[in-house]
Amino acid sequence: MDGNGVMISFINLSKTFSDDRHIVKAIDGFSLDIRQGEIVCLLGPSGCGKTTVLRIIAGLESKSGGSVKVRDESVSSAGSDRGLVFQEFSLFPWRTVRKNIEFGLEIKMMPVEERHEVSSKLIELVGLAGFENAHPEKLSGGMKQRVGIARALANDPAVLLMDEPFGSLDAQTRNLMQRELLRIWSATGKTILFVTHSVDEAVFLADRIVVMTARPGSVKEIISISIPRPRDRTSSEFISVRGEVLSVLEMEFEKTLARELSGD
Amino acid sequence: MEKKTTLLISIVIAAAVVVATAGVALYLTPDDDDSVKYVVVSPTLMGGWLQGGDGSAYIAWEPFVSSATVGGYGTVLSWSNEIMPNHPCCVVVLSNEFASTTEGSELSLRFLKAHVESTEWILDALADKDSVEYQLLVNMSVAFTLRDADVVENALEHVKFGWEMDTEFRSALDQFTDMYIDAGIVEEETVGDRGYGNVTDFISSYVNGTYLDELGSVTESPAILNPDDPIRLGYLAGDIHQLAQYVAANGSVVGGTMSVFEKYGLNVVAATGAPYANGGSEMDAFVAGHVDIGYLGAPPAILKKLNVDADTTIIAQVNSEGSAIVIATGSQISSLADLSGKIVATPGESSIQHLLLKIALNEQGLKLVKA
Amino acid sequence: MSAQYTVLKRFGRFAKSRRLQLSAAIISVSVFVILWHVFAWLLRCWDWSLQEYVPFPVDVFTVLVDSFVNEVPGMDLSMGVMAFASFKRVVIGFTLALVVAFPLGLLMASFRFVNYLGDPIIEMFRPIPPVAWIPVFLVMLSFFWGPVAIVFLGAFFPILLNVMFGVKRTDQTLIDAAKTLGARRIDIFTKVVIPSTAPYLMTGVKVGLGISWMCIVAAEMLPVLGGGVGNALWVSAMEFSRFDVTFACMIVIGLMSILTTGLAEQVERRLYRWMGME
Repeated sequence: MDGNGVMISFINLSKTFSDDRHIVKAIDGFSLDIRQGEIVCLLGPSGCGKTTVLRIIAGLESKSGGSVKVRDESVSSAGSDRGLVFQEFSLFPWRTVRKNIEFGLEIKMMPVEERHEVSSKLIELVGLAGFENAHPEKLSGGMKQRVGIARALANDPAVLLMDEPFGSLDAQTRNLMQRELLRIWSATGKTILFVTHSVDEAVFLADRIVVMTARPGSVKEIISISIPRPRDRTSSEFISVRGEVLSVLEMEFEKTLARELSGD
Repeated sequence: MEKKTTLLISIVIAAAVVVATAGVALYLTPDDDDSVKYVVVSPTLMGGWLQGGDGSAYIAWEPFVSSATVGGYGTVLSWSNEIMPNHPCCVVVLSNEFASTTEGSELSLRFLKAHVESTEWILDALADKDSVEYQLLVNMSVAFTLRDADVVENALEHVKFGWEMDTEFRSALDQFTDMYIDAGIVEEETVGDRGYGNVTDFISSYVNGTYLDELGSVTESPAILNPDDPIRLGYLAGDIHQLAQYVAANGSVVGGTMSVFEKYGLNVVAATGAPYANGGSEMDAFVAGHVDIGYLGAPPAILKKLNVDADTTIIAQVNSEGSAIVIATGSQISSLADLSGKIVATPGESSIQHLLLKIALNEQGLKLVKA
Repeated sequence: MSAQYTVLKRFGRFAKSRRLQLSAAIISVSVFVILWHVFAWLLRCWDWSLQEYVPFPVDVFTVLVDSFVNEVPGMDLSMGVMAFASFKRVVIGFTLALVVAFPLGLLMASFRFVNYLGDPIIEMFRPIPPVAWIPVFLVMLSFFWGPVAIVFLGAFFPILLNVMFGVKRTDQTLIDAAKTLGARRIDIFTKVVIPSTAPYLMTGVKVGLGISWMCIVAAEMLPVLGGGVGNALWVSAMEFSRFDVTFACMIVIGLMSILTTGLAEQVERRLYRWMGME
C-alpha cells in the first residue's frame, strides 16, 4: 500500500464489448483512486457501465485498456482479496447459511474448527444468529443479503464490492440494510465500492459519490459528502446534497434519453 | 447432519431390500441335483449354440439333427423313437369353417386324397434307394429344405412318413394333453369349459377319421374345381416332415406337367404368412382365418384348440418320429443320466421335442427346469 | 410441548393428504378393473373370437398369486424368481449406465473438447432405439449380459443428456460468486456444478428407470437364462396362448416399475431436503 492510503486505483480504464456485428465501447478513460476505509458509490444512468467497472475489478470481466490496481497490484483474475456482493444474492441454495459463509474458507482448506469460529463471528456480526442451519430458500431478501455480505467478508478481503446489493429489496428493508451496512463497515473498516442507481442511497452511504457519464462510461464528477453519520434523510443538508447530485445526474439521463430516441 | 444420516439410512434400507430379495430368489431357485436345465433356442440356431459351448445338448427335429451329424460337430444321444416309439409328430389340420360348406368338404376330401397319394409315393421312393423316384425325392427335399443332399438323405432315414391315425396315435395325443395340463400350460378346467368330458373325450372328438374313411369315393378330376377360390395351405418353413405337400404340388412327380393336386382338380396356394416359423403361429393364422388346411405339429394343434378355441380338426397324420437329442461330438455325455445339471436347448415349452425330452428325463428320475 | 404439537400437526396433515391420495388411487384402480371385467364379459356375450385374448381380471389375479406361490404355468420357475431375474438385469444395466453416463455427461458439458469428441458418436447412436440392438447383443453377449446391455443403452442417454443439460443450466452468477470467493476450476466443478446438476440427474434417473423396464421386457422376449418376466410374458402369449399369464406378467412389470420409480422419488425427495431445495 502506498503512502497516501490508496486502496484501488483505476487509470484510464476502457472496455469494449464486441460480437460479430457490433462493437460497443462501454467504458472509456475511467480514472479514479479509492482510499482505504472509504465508501465510494458509483452512480450513473443505466447502461453507463458501472457494473462493468465493478466486474472488472472483481476479476470477472477483462479490461480492454488502462490499468486497475488493488493495493498496487494489477488485477488479472478473480480472487479472494476482493469480496463481491451480488444484487441477486447468488447464494448456493444447497448450502445452509453457515455453509454458504464458509464456502471461501473451505476452498482455502481452513480447518473445520477455525472455519466454524470465523463463521460464528460473522453470523453474529450480520445479525443472523439462530439461522445458521437454515437454507437460503427459507430466508427473506434482507436476510439473504446479510448472508451474501457475511460470505464476502469471510475471506477478510481488502475491498468489498457491492453491485446494487439492495436493489431488489423493499424500501423499508432497504433502509434497514443501509444502516446495517454502515454498522458492519464501522466494525470492520473495509473499503467499500458500492454500485447503485439510487441517489438517495448514495448520499446516505457514501464518503464520495462518483457520477458516471452515459455510455461510454467515464467519471463525470466526484462529489464528496461531509455530512456526519448517522445521516438524517430529512435534514436540509441531506436534501441539498441530494439536489446537487441529482442535477449532475440529470444531464447524463437526458443524454441517454436523447440517444435512445434517436435510435442509436 | 441429521438429514445426511436419514439419506444414508434410506440408502442402506434400499440396499438391504435388494439383498433380501436376492436371498429369497436364491432360496427359491431349484438346486442342480436331479434336474436338467433348458433354454429355448430356435432350431436354426441350435447348431451354432452347441458349438459355441453355451450348453451340452439340444433336441430338435430333422433336418437339424442330420445337419449336426453330417456336419461332424454333433452326435445323436437318443432318437425320439427310443423315447416313445411311433410318437406322432406332424398332422393335417382342417379349418372347420372351411369344411362347413359342401364344396369345402368336398375339396378337403380331395386334398386328403392328394396327401395320402403323395405320402405313398414318398414311401415307395424311400423303399428303393437306387430308383429314379428316390433321386427325385432327394432333389425335392433339397429344394424344399435348402440343405445339402447328404444331410437330407440322412434325415429322410429317420422320419417315418404315414397318414393313418390308429389308437396308438390317439393315446399319444392323450398323453401330450395330460402333460400340458401337468405343466400348467393348459388349465384342467379348460377341457371342461370347452365342452369335453375329459382328455380322452377331447382327443376323440378333435381327431376326425371320417375323411380318411371316405377316400375311396374320390376320383380324378379332368378340370380344376376351384379355379377362383384356391385352398389356402399352411405349412412350416423347410420342415422335411411336411414333404408330402411339396410333393403333391410338384408337377414332375406324376410324370407329366400335372401335379397331384391338379390331378384331383385342386387349386392350392400358400396361405398368407406361410411358410410359418412354428406350429403355434400357424394355428394363430388358422384362428385369424388365413388358413384352410395346414401341416403342423400335433402339440400346438392341441394347445391352441384348448387355449384359444381354434375351430379346427385333425384329419390325418403326416409323419411320426424324426427328432433326436444331439450332443457335441467328443462330449463326455454318454447317457441321458449324464445330462443331470447340464443345459439343453429345446425349440420351446409347447413343442413335441420339449415334451419328449421331459418324458425321457422323467424316466431317468430327472426333472426338466428352466435355466 | 409446542414442538411435539407441530410434529403431530405435520403428521396429521401428511396422513390426511396420504389418505386422500390412497382413496383416489383405490377408486381409479377399481373403476379400471370393473371396466375391464365388463369389457371381457361383453366380448363373451357377443361371442367374439377376441374373447380368448381378454381374460377376466379375477382369472388374471388368481394366476398372478398362483404363479408366485407355485410357478409360472409351464415354466418351472416361480414368478418371484422371474421377477428377481428381471430386476437384477435392470439394476445392473441401470447402475452401469448411471456410473458411466453421469461422469461422462459432466465432462462433456464442462470441456468443449470432450464434447466435440463425444457429440458426433452420441448423436449417431442416440436416435437408434435400444431395442434395435436386441439381435446383436443377444448373439454377441448371450443370455445374461445381452439384456443387461440393452437396459444399459436405454438408461444411458436420458441420464447423459439430462446431466449435460443440467451442467449447461448451472447459474452463471453462482459460478461468479464462487470465483470471487477464491474458487479454482476444480472447486467450481465439485462445489457448484455438480450440486446444481443434482435435480437434472434425478430427472434423468427417473426417465432412465422407466425406459429400463421397457427395454427389459423387449430384451427378454428372446430366450434368457434364469427366466425373466419379459420372457414369461412373451412365451405365455406366443407359445401357450395363456393370456391370463401374459396380463399377470404385465402387472408384475408395472409393479416393479412403480417400486423403482418410487424408490427414486424417495431418494430425490431426501436429496432435495438435504440440499434445502424442497
